[in-house]
Amino acid sequence: MTPHITTSREQFTVVSIKASEAVIGLLACLTFIGLVAGLGRLLLGLSASTALTDGYPWGIWIGFDFTLIAFSGVGFTMTAIVHIFHLKEYQPALRPAILAGLLGYSAVLVLLVLDLGRPDRFYNFLIFWNLHSPLFEISWCILLYTTILMLETCPCLFQRLGYEWPVRLARKSVVPVSIIGVTLSTLHQSTLGTLYLNMPHRLNALWYTPMLPLLFFISSMMAGLGLAILTYKVATRVQGKVERSAIVDGLGQAMVWITILYLLLKSGDLWIAGQMPALAQDRMGFILMLELIAGALIPVALWLIPAVRTHRLGQWMIPLLILAGVMMNRFNATMIAQALPPGAAYSPHIIEWLSTIGILAGVVLVWYLGVRFLVMAEDVECQS
Amino acid sequence: MSNQNQDRLTRREFLKKSGIGAATLVTVGWPIDGSQPTATRTPGSDDAQAILIDLTRCTGCNACTLACKVSNRLAHPDVLAKQLDSDAYTFVDQRQVEKGDGQIETCFVKRQCMHCLDPACVSACTVGALSKTAAGPVVYDAHKCIGCRYCQYACPFGVPTYEWENALGLIHKCQMCVERLVAGQQPACVEACPNGALRFGKRAALLAQAHAQIISNPERYVDHVYGEHEAGGTSVLYLSAVPFAGLGLPELDPEPIPHQAEAVMKLTPYVALTVASIATALHWILQRRELKVDTGENQ
Repeated sequence: MTPHITTSREQFTVVSIKASEAVIGLLACLTFIGLVAGLGRLLLGLSASTALTDGYPWGIWIGFDFTLIAFSGVGFTMTAIVHIFHLKEYQPALRPAILAGLLGYSAVLVLLVLDLGRPDRFYNFLIFWNLHSPLFEISWCILLYTTILMLETCPCLFQRLGYEWPVRLARKSVVPVSIIGVTLSTLHQSTLGTLYLNMPHRLNALWYTPMLPLLFFISSMMAGLGLAILTYKVATRVQGKVERSAIVDGLGQAMVWITILYLLLKSGDLWIAGQMPALAQDRMGFILMLELIAGALIPVALWLIPAVRTHRLGQWMIPLLILAGVMMNRFNATMIAQALPPGAAYSPHIIEWLSTIGILAGVVLVWYLGVRFLVMAEDVECQS
Repeated sequence: MSNQNQDRLTRREFLKKSGIGAATLVTVGWPIDGSQPTATRTPGSDDAQAILIDLTRCTGCNACTLACKVSNRLAHPDVLAKQLDSDAYTFVDQRQVEKGDGQIETCFVKRQCMHCLDPACVSACTVGALSKTAAGPVVYDAHKCIGCRYCQYACPFGVPTYEWENALGLIHKCQMCVERLVAGQQPACVEACPNGALRFGKRAALLAQAHAQIISNPERYVDHVYGEHEAGGTSVLYLSAVPFAGLGLPELDPEPIPHQAEAVMKLTPYVALTVASIATALHWILQRRELKVDTGENQ
């Protein structure tokens, strides 16, 4: 029925099928445990299922929310490259990327519902508006952008099912949909940084800067391009296709230049704010150095060495380091660089861990199945 | 040739649609800057009601905290709170402070919502459940709250507390007994204080009184009314014999906390318009170039 799935299956060795089925089983188990843990949280309330307190009201759920949103920047980054910049040679990397974006945002929605004190009223932001609130804007953008991602992803399914008219409709509307998606992403990726501008008394001065909105936006593109490389590389392997090195090179180059821009802005900002000496002073200085050196400077340096850039291992490591750096940044901002009131402490509850791991496992599982069974190539015609 | 015409048609259609998209965003985004939001913030003025706390008169008797629990029908009125929580909208903090002569003295510091003139919690609240009333109090509409707890991060005084034990919890905080104020009464804590440590009135009048007290008793007070300028000014003001740094009251800049975020939030419609326009223009230019390259190759 489907020519390229047969091809991909042929190229799988017996061993790798068994291994992939074991991984699928494990991911499914973790997802199930996570769903049970999430249900437990909804029934038990926050005090019985989390370690959150008035001194530490946001925990790993929020940390992973912020990380997942940055990583899901893969969606708008890739649609911009293909549909706005018209770099059609990156088309093969597009669909695995927007599928990852959609699943990332879906995971954020689930985590947010778990985290809300009143999950039964999650829709209240649609009714009661506060245009001053960064979280209000973020909520709206996430809702609208998840819808956009669904529109962008649906041809993968409709092409598989052989429905022609929705695919034609999606093709015709692809440019306006992409422009709206990029606009919504610019807004909320930066507003996640604006959110911290209301916490000058809490967020460490090494992280707090009026530039946070810009830095958050730029780092979401770093993470987006990093994840685009990884999703493309994995997707070609799952589908048994040949990886085009020009795609990996091009995305990597864009990622590295944006990371250099980020490093310049961040260090310039630290210098102007007179925070440079603080980098060498206490634990917080060390943590920021770690974030910037391991998560930005080293991957850039590695990329600049041609032998590493073209090496098989290097091509995995460099985007992974960038993603780790952005993840550190989001966790530092939400948790580690936050000043605690006296007596406040936090060590995540087992339900927080299980639900988070379960949701992440679910994302990986559904993405894998999607890449394996949905139509990932733009030019495949409908089968009717 | 006919192929090229087809391409042109699609492009025109694309452009039309992206134009509509951009226009929608602008119209949706526009009211953000112009009209007042539903969760209206009335920046507090000197005319608003305020509370002046004279810490030199406080004996730590806790009559205020008990009156608060009774008036707000809070649980465990018999338990003396050591911090703010969903059962305690105010508590009397005990601070060991070294006086000038090396002696250690216990200071009692009544803590509660400061009812900021430009409150960060109000600006931050996702659904506008918190609002600053013209009369002074920062009030909370429990029916709107979704329990996101952003207010807990935005408040520099650690005032909003969450009802963690409840499976469907809400935020709790002092509302300056807003219902009593409407009925022409004073806040319960002020009325209960037997030592005259709490005074209720117009903010401007209380500030004038506080400064007059400092001038007439310079040996009794430090020359600082806490809350006059902190975080843009608060509706709860403190007089003290010892510097405020040792009393657990945070040192804060006179710039209201929400100003920076609000300055960025105001740009939202312009950012949306700019990004959508640039993206549309780029698409148009780059697709033309792509088409030209295609036709060039065809010839």
